[in-house]
Amino acid sequence: MDKALISMAAAIAIAIPAIATAWAQSKIGSAGAGALAEKPELSGTIIILVAIPETIVLLGLVVAYLILS
Amino acid sequence: MIKEMRKVQIIGPKGTLDECIKTLHATSVVHIETAAPDSFLHRLPIEKERLLEKESLERSRETLRNLLFLLKTPPAVRTAHVEGAQLAGRIESVGPVVERVKVIRAELDALTEELSAVNRYEKLIIGFAPVVSSLGGLKNFEIAGLTLEKGRTGVLELLAGEIDRITEGRFELHTTDIDEATLGVVVAYARTYDAQIRYLLTGKSINEIRLPDDYADLSFLSALKLMRVRKDELPRLMREYDKELERVSNEWYGVVKGMLVAIDDAIDEIGVLNYAVQTGFTFVIEGWIPADLLVALHERFAGQYSGAVLVRELPITPKEAHRVPVCIVNPKPLRPFEVFLGALPLPRYGSVDPTPYVAVFFPIFFGLMVGDVGYGVVILAIGLLLRRRFRLKEKLRDIATVLAISSVSAIIFGVLFGEFFGDLGMRLGLMHPLVIHRAEALKTMMGITLVIGAGHVMLGVIIGAANQFKRRHIGHACAKLAYLAAIVSFLVVICAVLGAAPKGVVVPGVVSLVISVAVLSALEGALGPIEMIKAVGNILSYVRIMAVGTASVVMANVANRIGGLSENIFVGILIGGAIHALNILLSLVSPVIQSMRLQYVEFFSKFFEAGGIRYAPFRKR
Repeated sequence: MDKALISMAAAIAIAIPAIATAWAQSKIGSAGAGALAEKPELSGTIIILVAIPETIVLLGLVVAYLILS
Repeated sequence: MIKEMRKVQIIGPKGTLDECIKTLHATSVVHIETAAPDSFLHRLPIEKERLLEKESLERSRETLRNLLFLLKTPPAVRTAHVEGAQLAGRIESVGPVVERVKVIRAELDALTEELSAVNRYEKLIIGFAPVVSSLGGLKNFEIAGLTLEKGRTGVLELLAGEIDRITEGRFELHTTDIDEATLGVVVAYARTYDAQIRYLLTGKSINEIRLPDDYADLSFLSALKLMRVRKDELPRLMREYDKELERVSNEWYGVVKGMLVAIDDAIDEIGVLNYAVQTGFTFVIEGWIPADLLVALHERFAGQYSGAVLVRELPITPKEAHRVPVCIVNPKPLRPFEVFLGALPLPRYGSVDPTPYVAVFFPIFFGLMVGDVGYGVVILAIGLLLRRRFRLKEKLRDIATVLAISSVSAIIFGVLFGEFFGDLGMRLGLMHPLVIHRAEALKTMMGITLVIGAGHVMLGVIIGAANQFKRRHIGHACAKLAYLAAIVSFLVVICAVLGAAPKGVVVPGVVSLVISVAVLSALEGALGPIEMIKAVGNILSYVRIMAVGTASVVMANVANRIGGLSENIFVGILIGGAIHALNILLSLVSPVIQSMRLQYVEFFSKFFEAGGIRYAPFRKR
């Protein structure tokens, strides 16, 4: 039972940040696509902006790992 | 590396201005800037003749661009070299070519249109041919062609009855199948009833065949006969015009391109006059030049004008520091990595060009994430293939080169991790992990990536501090050092708490952390401590190297396992190969983006200063 709860906690620790990252990327991605249509030279900046929220899910991964270990 | 720049002023007698501009154009090293007028220096008025010359050149450029559009692009274009002095004569000689090409294009368009019209009538021509031949001998008769929908053949009987009534039986009516849905009808009738018959044929449900405009004056019979002849003739005529256009294009395309280059150069030379200023007898042009090219410029002007034109170096005032153009030149092996700079604004003059650091760390991070000998070899092959394919497209060629270099790093890390298409090498007994088994030692990999992250972030801060010291921005430099001390102190305390360092360092670590954060706050304000927290996030962000790498190796192992489940070896190889191919495709995208992000966000933010002006020397096109 304890093992199941620990696994569940680890899953939640990564699932919620993953959803948050996806939500943030969807917002940044759509705004970025709009910006690119106006200014194609912003492609580098947009890639960076889209990649920034990934840190959230990585922190989730670290927490999940700490819960499991 | 950002080259050191010098500000230069070129002063000479007004009579030598045009010659001096040509010399500057030929040397192609000076980034010309508007010289500021003052009480002694005034704007140089541009003579009316020069403005007229510019207008004339712009008109010629328009004509030549249109000509280039009309010509066919030859398979191998070699831009001819056209001297500025030859330009006027060349422009004159191109006049008849423009006219001839326009005629050829117009003829080709007309023939194409006619062929298209004839093709539209092809079914009718074929369908009506036997009927028209049989009626060919009739005199004083008119012929009309109609089409009817097959489902409405009742109309045909009504029509025949009506024509019989009008012509009192003096007509012939023939039908023929045009296609599955259309019936062709040819009516031959005495010419005296033409008006009544035409009126009848304008009725509903009857489509009298309208001839193309070129054939409108001909009778239906003559038009169809002529169309048949033209259908055979038109392709031959088009081929002849096409050949002539090809011949003219081969002869003139390169010449016209060369003339356009010469015209652009001539317009540029007139444009430079806008940047110059004058005194009563002299002109002054100002600009920027890389320091190592200044001596050569001095010698060129001294030799050519025997001291009559002076090249003077001006001191760069602090107010002008932000206007110094940025010229980035890196050693040849590092140049492909400049492609990463293309996605960012140019670094400011005096700051750091990150290209050499990217050239070291990008392949390492890519290799750590892919870390597979088999994948590395495939990506190397793809990189070399793309490099060859895009050898003339600089940006794509550079990306392919970066990919090829990074794949070598992936092969090296693959050897260290003992991976060849995942665990296939281990299963076959060919390889074993030399350093670490990535798929199993997640904790170790996480630790390694965090150490790499800490080192990379701290290197960024050290580069930033060194650059601030070099530029004598002591306050900013000290703030960077305090920032570095805060990061180190924080890491020491964390390591001690987690048992990776002696417990005795906790207290000195905390004291050092508090002092460095206090110094940082004093120097940079409230943003200092926030930066400190950001740095911790930056270091943790390097865990992505482990995360992406683990995902890659697990997927490769899954490919081997699923492939191994099949009883047929060929089916197994096919399934495993397909999953590996997908994984390699992902390896081409994800590690590249993640590695780029680590450079842009985590590393560059510690020292990169955007806002430079690109060095654009006044050079020949």
